[in-house]
Amino acid sequence: MDSTASSLDFAVIGHQDSWQNVSNFVNGLRTGEQEKLSIEKIKNIYSFIPARDLFKVKVKSQTGSEINGVYIETFIDPDKLDSQSLRTNISKVMNAISHSKKMGAKMVALGGFTSIVLEGNLDSFYTDDTKFTTGNTLTAAYIVKGLEKAAIKHGINLSECTILIVGATGDIGMACTNYLKNRAKKLLLSARNTMQLEKLSQQLIQDNITIKYSTNLQELVSDADMIICVASSTDIKLSNCKKNVLICDAGYPKNLETKIETDTDFNIFHGGMGQVSCGFNFSPDYSNTIYQYPVPHIIHGCILEAMVLAFENKYENYSAGKGNITMDSIEEIYNLSLKHGISIAPFYNSKGIC
Amino acid sequence: METLQIEFKTIEEFNVISDVFSQAITGELIGMANFALLTETIDDPHEKMEAVEHANSERMHAEGFMAYAKKTGLKVNINMHGEYWGNVHKQFLSYAQKNDFIACLIIQEVILESFAISMYTDVGNALGGEAGKLFLSIAEEEKEHLEHSSHLLQAELKKDATAFIKKFEEVHFSCMTILAQFSATTDLRGHCGVCNGDCMKGSLHHIGLNIINLRGNALALYAQALDNIGIPGEKSIVWIAQLPA
Repeated sequence: MDSTASSLDFAVIGHQDSWQNVSNFVNGLRTGEQEKLSIEKIKNIYSFIPARDLFKVKVKSQTGSEINGVYIETFIDPDKLDSQSLRTNISKVMNAISHSKKMGAKMVALGGFTSIVLEGNLDSFYTDDTKFTTGNTLTAAYIVKGLEKAAIKHGINLSECTILIVGATGDIGMACTNYLKNRAKKLLLSARNTMQLEKLSQQLIQDNITIKYSTNLQELVSDADMIICVASSTDIKLSNCKKNVLICDAGYPKNLETKIETDTDFNIFHGGMGQVSCGFNFSPDYSNTIYQYPVPHIIHGCILEAMVLAFENKYENYSAGKGNITMDSIEEIYNLSLKHGISIAPFYNSKGIC
Repeated sequence: METLQIEFKTIEEFNVISDVFSQAITGELIGMANFALLTETIDDPHEKMEAVEHANSERMHAEGFMAYAKKTGLKVNINMHGEYWGNVHKQFLSYAQKNDFIACLIIQEVILESFAISMYTDVGNALGGEAGKLFLSIAEEEKEHLEHSSHLLQAELKKDATAFIKKFEEVHFSCMTILAQFSATTDLRGHCGVCNGDCMKGSLHHIGLNIINLRGNALALYAQALDNIGIPGEKSIVWIAQLPA
């Protein structure tokens, strides 16, 4: 493992967010002569598999530099991305973290749901040679700056808008709230945890920010001109939306389109995603099975943050804990990403480019 | 029959425990036979003596299971030539005839021991009592075999990674395919020839087990064994995904 250790600039720890993705991946690994496995059969095995590296990643910067990484799959059950399975999932993430350390990764991104480990107890991460990031700062940057860009595209003046943030008390949700609090006319905040939502809301009210908050999403939806969703979409339903509401789906899985009950038109795009202008390569190449996007070289912001930090040789626990993302760090990581030719992904949704 | 009434709550429980012991005893005897054959492939006298010792250890495990079965009146069926155990042994034999010590080691001490350790642990925890303790203690001893092989195979990987991984892949598909068919929710190659009646997999719930967890845990331990040896994850995931299910 020594040769790998010396050249592994980053590792990405992740999970699949639907059984269809898992099925595409597993059946993509089978030979043409082998029968395709049903999702039911795959479910009987998948979550038992210990965390392992699935493919290598080579990324190029527009500065000419090149970095090497690896993707480590946690094999978390896509149906169990909720608080009820927290203990099992944390255990799987910790196994993946051990694997990344064993491989000698200098920087590790805890992508998607796996970031929950780094948002909790941080003490055990500070003594390591391997550095960790949730990648939440760049994800938040791509969400808010993507929303600004989308507003311009649709001729919307952000300062006249009421913006609903679903999942406002999460790390990314709070970062979005703080970024937008002086840019929008009014913020509507929704979260499941009443105490955390009240605490955040009281702080904003003290700062004279115009807000309304509720744990009941439906009390807020009809007032929103724009919606940012950074929560797990498992229990979310959006009904009575305003006509032409602009929606940024930045949660997991990105299937908010199927949760909207409305007769009126709406504009939805998948947020928090970036595009690498100089491209990247997977080896083996699974881009046809688990990394399918309407345009090439799209990756989640959280993963891109680790890549940007690796390009910069900035090996530190960049995004860690909860509520620590500052406006300065959003600007810093966003500008560093642009330096390396990594920018907000073109607007797309489940139907393609939009 | 008096013993049966004392030890077992229902006839279904008796039947499934009888089948579990039948599989364990047959598996241990296959292990014993494999280790005995393995001695022929080894030049190093110390390793040769160790293989003999391992064969004896498997014999003692089989005897332990047999003694418990006799004491409690279990209906034990031993069949080393059944569809799955017989074919696993044939695969081992084919490599032993080629004096391929490494392939034999992979089959016996990685593949079969991974399944044995995991399944004995699950069965031991489910059965509890004297039977449970017996399974758990034997699982502990089998762990030593797995650890012993890991060190040897790590050294082989260092010598020539490409050739070693190619050999491991071949052995994986020749042997793990049989175990995957054997441990699928329904026997993919027909009756095993060991269970007394119908396949026991449908009756495991009588002792608080199910084949999905038994199989999943066994595959997980096998995957960890591959990791410990140093097989890259990007390889082992393909090997696992290509198994019958």
